[in-house]
Amino acid sequence: MATEHVGELLSGYLDGELTQQQRQRVTLHCSGCEQCRDDLVELRALRERVSGAPLSELGEDQWRENMNDTTVQLSRGIGWLLFIAGLLVAGFYALYHLMIDSSMSFIEKFIIFGVYGGLAVLLFSVLRQRLIERKTDKYKDVEI
Amino acid sequence: MKTQDMREQLAQMGNGAHALATQILGNSDDAADAVQEAIAKVLGRPGGYDPKKGSLAPWFMRLVRNHCIDLLRRRRGEPLEAESLPATGPGPEASAEAAQRDEAIRSALAALSPDRREIIVLRDYMDLSYAEIASVLDLAPGTVMSRLHRARMDLKETLIRYG
Repeated sequence: MATEHVGELLSGYLDGELTQQQRQRVTLHCSGCEQCRDDLVELRALRERVSGAPLSELGEDQWRENMNDTTVQLSRGIGWLLFIAGLLVAGFYALYHLMIDSSMSFIEKFIIFGVYGGLAVLLFSVLRQRLIERKTDKYKDVEI
Repeated sequence: MKTQDMREQLAQMGNGAHALATQILGNSDDAADAVQEAIAKVLGRPGGYDPKKGSLAPWFMRLVRNHCIDLLRRRRGEPLEAESLPATGPGPEASAEAAQRDEAIRSALAALSPDRREIIVLRDYMDLSYAEIASVLDLAPGTVMSRLHRARMDLKETLIRYG
């Protein structure tokens, strides 16, 4: 009978991570050591208990749905980015042509700039407010 | 690896990653957010994973773990208490006895130190090999067996106390 307990090798044995020599040592030891035999049985039961425990209550489908959400959010983000970049380029292009246009007086240019510039600022302000509300509204998911 | 294959594998690993993140963060909702962020990172840059360096599971688990540790650092989290771990209730079909057993496992795990919880979840819940666990936890491969064994013995003792 072996006198020295095999200790951590029991876990390795249980998990199939031992070399052939180590496996033989554990098998031989357990055949003559009731304590290690009991430990092995208990460790096996413990492993099964942990593997079957509901440590996460979420399902695979939920992760799939979340991933779709991520893709949608990403593409939406890219879409907005392109739209805003295009808008800015168009705005600066129009402003540049307005500035160099010699057929209009300063007052005319100022009026056009005021109208379109004001509209742009108002649009930006509304969008910003909507975005803030969307992010901070605690009741956005409540259905009435 | 094709993105669609990667998405499918990530979906299958989601629950395991969530269990691991829950053990680190101590909160199921925070853990779900962390895993979701990790998935978004991976899908945002799928080329970051090199299949030649091993399977996706340990690489992803390592990413989730590092992200959780970053979150903890940012929040300057306090040590976890047993009560802070989620009480993920059993379904209505689960028997009262099974529910009690599950609760006992969760409570016993929560009573262990975070490094012991992690290694048990990685091996016994996620079924990662010792080499993969070593890669996730950044350990020498030879130390996984001894750490895991100590963690299991601790869990066994704690379970006896919790009944």
